Amino acid sequence: MLTFVARRALAAVPVLLVASFLSFWFVRVTVDPTAKVRQSRDPQAVARLRERLRLDEPVVVQYGVWVRDALRGDLGTSERTGEPVSRMLRRALWTTTQLLLWGTAAAALVAVAVGVYSALRAGGVADHLLTTLAFLGLAMPPFWFGLLAIQILAVDLTRWLGLSEPLFGFVGLHSGDGSGFTLDYLRHLVLPVMTLTVGIVAEWSRFQRASMVEVLAAPYIRTARAKGVPRSRLVVRHALRNALLPLVTVMALDVGLLFGGVIVTEQIFSIPGMGRLFVESLRVGDAPVLVAWTVVTAAFVIAANLVADLAYGFLDPRVRPR
Amino acid sequence: MRRWTTMVTGALVCALALGACSSSGEGGNGAGGPSGPGPTRKAAGTLVLGAEQEPDCADWIGSCAGSAWGLWTIQVHTIPRVFDYRKQAGVWTEVPSPLLAGAPEVSERDGKQVVTYRLNPAARWSDGTPITSADFRFTWRAVVDGEDIYDKTGYDLIESVDDSDPRTVVVTFRERYASWRGLFAAYGVLPRHLLEGKDRAEEMADGYEWSGGPWIARWRKGESVTLTPNPRWWGPPPKLAKVVFKFLASSAAEFKAFESRTVKAIYPQPQLEVVGKVTRRDPQARRFVTTETGNVEALWVNNDRFPFDDVRVRQAFAYAVDREAIVRRLFGRLGVTEPVHSFNPPIQSRYAAPAFERYRADPRRVEELMRAAGFRRDGDGPWRKDGRVAEVVLTTTTGNKRRELTLQILQEQLRRAGFRARIGNLPPADLFGEHLPNGDFQVALYAQVVTTLDPGLCVVFCAKNIPGPDNDHSGQNFTRTRVPEADPFLERVDVEADEQERIAASKRADELLAEAMVSLPLDPLPNIGLWDRRIEGPVADNPVLGMFWNVHEWRCRGGRC
Repeated sequence: MLTFVARRALAAVPVLLVASFLSFWFVRVTVDPTAKVRQSRDPQAVARLRERLRLDEPVVVQYGVWVRDALRGDLGTSERTGEPVSRMLRRALWTTTQLLLWGTAAAALVAVAVGVYSALRAGGVADHLLTTLAFLGLAMPPFWFGLLAIQILAVDLTRWLGLSEPLFGFVGLHSGDGSGFTLDYLRHLVLPVMTLTVGIVAEWSRFQRASMVEVLAAPYIRTARAKGVPRSRLVVRHALRNALLPLVTVMALDVGLLFGGVIVTEQIFSIPGMGRLFVESLRVGDAPVLVAWTVVTAAFVIAANLVADLAYGFLDPRVRPR
Repeated sequence: MRRWTTMVTGALVCALALGACSSSGEGGNGAGGPSGPGPTRKAAGTLVLGAEQEPDCADWIGSCAGSAWGLWTIQVHTIPRVFDYRKQAGVWTEVPSPLLAGAPEVSERDGKQVVTYRLNPAARWSDGTPITSADFRFTWRAVVDGEDIYDKTGYDLIESVDDSDPRTVVVTFRERYASWRGLFAAYGVLPRHLLEGKDRAEEMADGYEWSGGPWIARWRKGESVTLTPNPRWWGPPPKLAKVVFKFLASSAAEFKAFESRTVKAIYPQPQLEVVGKVTRRDPQARRFVTTETGNVEALWVNNDRFPFDDVRVRQAFAYAVDREAIVRRLFGRLGVTEPVHSFNPPIQSRYAAPAFERYRADPRRVEELMRAAGFRRDGDGPWRKDGRVAEVVLTTTTGNKRRELTLQILQEQLRRAGFRARIGNLPPADLFGEHLPNGDFQVALYAQVVTTLDPGLCVVFCAKNIPGPDNDHSGQNFTRTRVPEADPFLERVDVEADEQERIAASKRADELLAEAMVSLPLDPLPNIGLWDRRIEGPVADNPVLGMFWNVHEWRCRGGRC
């Protein structure tokens, strides 16, 4: 198993290098890193920045220097804030990881429950209703869902219940300058997690339903039922366990893709994570942050793929690496 | 099973609701930071305010100078300055701040201008160290000797800062400098004992724990700035125990946050979508909309580019634009209908002549001027001269819907007047960092924002400030304006000590700039503020220091915010 993990990790290195070079090159050719400094009335400011970033040298040389520094743990300094990029990424990544963890857990729980329930009542009214809702969820743009959720579940609900402030927070992850794992934190998680996962809950529940329907029609389930295995045990131990297999793979892959979703979610809910960092850096063409952000995101997606492979092998001994 | 689920759900909702209620009472517990000196009521309540943007850093004289939200959320509350700004007899005026014991004295010694500031003996930094003349001297050297300083204007004219008496600052200028009031005001005064010998930019970049104002600021990057009372503040102590500025990522979120009272006050930019939301009825809210600002949004014309290299074409352009119609469309619902008629912003109105009032939409004048300039037109076609079409590329910053709409209206007005107009917008960094300094534009729409009551248009209109080798390409006269008759008046405004002479020179310059139609002022870009009616205190706009500058005087009704 260790060899398998090491091999996969090594295979990811060239992918990371290519991704980082492409993003580095793309940022350099599309963004003028001196644009902000040009507004300064110090005539030497631009020259100093050009020298610091080695802008007069070829992109390949600039990239080589960046990789060398990155391997030493120095991802550069943000041109926007003057802060070390590694510190900015660490702070943003921690916030986004919280969102992703809660989002994945909540989405998995809801999607599996809905999928199983739908499969057990396949063709019934509840199944049709859940199918309709799932398609609605798939079709709904997250930014629109987020704004709608704020309006109804925060603004309007507050008014209807006569509260002095919203039941569900939607600015950051805490009220005021609060911090830590508190009830207030949970109140602030509800709407962003819903917005982030509305699409994948719909997708995963459809996946789970289809997989469950297929398993429930399998001969071994019929046999178990004929032998008098209780319904709850039949569903949970015999059917669900096998029906989860394909979903686990999809989930691990989608977690990487959720990174795209956090851009919208964090913007709507003013959450200072990776998504907002990307938008703010892009707005001013903060090249060091954009390059590092892309590399970290690529690493995250590669890691998610690796987890998918390992999880699949763990759950299904037939594909376990030897 | 079903009953159990219902109970759990019910309990969860109750817990969340309880949380919502209990946290709202947070401000009412009276638990506050230490109060200032004197027998005053204890600071009470936590007030949460909305901030549209987060400052990039907190180095107020370097890379983050000029950051509006940096000024409004941190700088104005923590950095001592020599002047405050108040409206007196209908005019915005500088008044000595609590840092000073009285008004500064301006005198002349050996033919040189000398300004003497006497410091308030009670003035001290948050660690108890007195604020002295040495801090002024340190600030001056930090600006003059520092790298990446945003603007050294005025500081580079100082010959010496005498700090022999800790309570008296004597500033001697190398040459006469009329705008001296802006010095140690916009940048403020920095603490020598905390910053000397250190990398100031690095020390201040992520915020700082010291203060020379009513509050101490704690900045949690990406999330909020929290102000707590400075126990060593010598002025009237803050009435609130805590003020929190929450950073809001979009204007949609900003208004929802205010509507739900997640934040209790906002100071939004006058964007298109904002206008509709501000005029929406909310009986629990108070608001102001004011055109007394330091802003002038204008159509900045490149005087070097065809066809605007001919003054008659520039004048024709001005007569082709119906500025009233544009302003009414943009801000009419806020009661703002009149364009501005000078490049001196409304807060400097005493220095302004309504010189551009002459330019009202007049197709007949357009026709006369274009023909006089040698242009001809077939029917409804565009003006042509020597085979060249009078084509105008209108540029503004991408993503700003209000400006984009303005250009669309303008495009239609120009088309009717015979100009071929098209829109080519640019990201702000490209427009301000590259295209304007290089003169790579024809007509650009953006706002000039001043943060001082001192006039000074030479920087943007004097010929010597056209970016070029003479000024290391750092000149700000992007429009390449060359009106030789106006330059002496514009320069005089910068140095004239006699106020009446200064006003006269400024007004004369306005007239000459309007005659040459160097660019066209459009609207005053109103300032807008909304706040919950439970907030008590002098809540009003301050066009220089922003809406929140006096938040230490605010309190919440009954101590509950």
